Amino acid sequence: MTTSINGTTMRHTLTTPTDRTIRVERIFDATRDRVWRAYTEPALLAQWWGRGNKLVIEKMEVVRGGHWRYVEHTPDGEAHGFEGRYREVTPQDRIVRTFEWDGMPGYTILETAEFTDLGDGRTRVTGTSLFFTPEERDGMLHSGMEGGMAQSFEALDRLLAKAP
Amino acid sequence: MRRGEVGNILNHMVQYPTDLDSVFTAVADGTRRGILERLGRREASITELAEQFGMTLTGMKKHVQLLEKAGLVRTRKVGRVRTCTLGTRRLTAEAAWIANYHQMLEAQLDSLGEFLERTKGEQP
Repeated sequence: MTTSINGTTMRHTLTTPTDRTIRVERIFDATRDRVWRAYTEPALLAQWWGRGNKLVIEKMEVVRGGHWRYVEHTPDGEAHGFEGRYREVTPQDRIVRTFEWDGMPGYTILETAEFTDLGDGRTRVTGTSLFFTPEERDGMLHSGMEGGMAQSFEALDRLLAKAP
Repeated sequence: MRRGEVGNILNHMVQYPTDLDSVFTAVADGTRRGILERLGRREASITELAEQFGMTLTGMKKHVQLLEKAGLVRTRKVGRVRTCTLGTRRLTAEAAWIANYHQMLEAQLDSLGEFLERTKGEQP
């Protein structure tokens, strides 16, 4: 799918390359350095990550093993916490971190953001998200349980296919 | 996940039908996710669900109505007992969370694009 967002930012979205992975991709009309800073400097990240909602960055240690925690405040007064740890921080190139929402504890997502300099002042961001169930995360998988996440993706596919 | 925000996100998301709104509202609540998990194992009456979740009948009815509206739960009344089963739309809380997360990711990239446009020239 390709949509022009504002004339310069193109949307390219790939979904579910495997039964438990989601990938999103965008090309930004901005240098890789600017994009990198938007992802790694709290004052800049707070201006876009919450999609217009107030974002309180409680912790953001952008180093391998570092902890991050953001709390998003919606206009109706609800607060939603998100947190995880950085697994890899390769400047200008790649960030790998875990992601959990307080509302679904145990459902850990491994997020990878990759930044590609397109050489013409534009930058491609590729986000890949790998989902784990609490059972997988805690190593408690046994036969019969492996299918859970695949079934969830199938349920989602069916729902989307059925909708008008 | 976020009742107020789902609509905003959906406006950005052409590939996701607005039809999903009721589903996300339905599964945004921990009790309602619990009800879905419970009904996934076996059907139950509203009274049984109310007892199990420590709620009043009226409170449980409201939850069930929201789930029914989203197509996630079906109810049938026999005599004085209303029995709940999983609806034809078998969307688990997990699947709803995946969809919700995906939408958030897309909306964040849109928001980043707007931010980069807005701050063009401000940063070297």
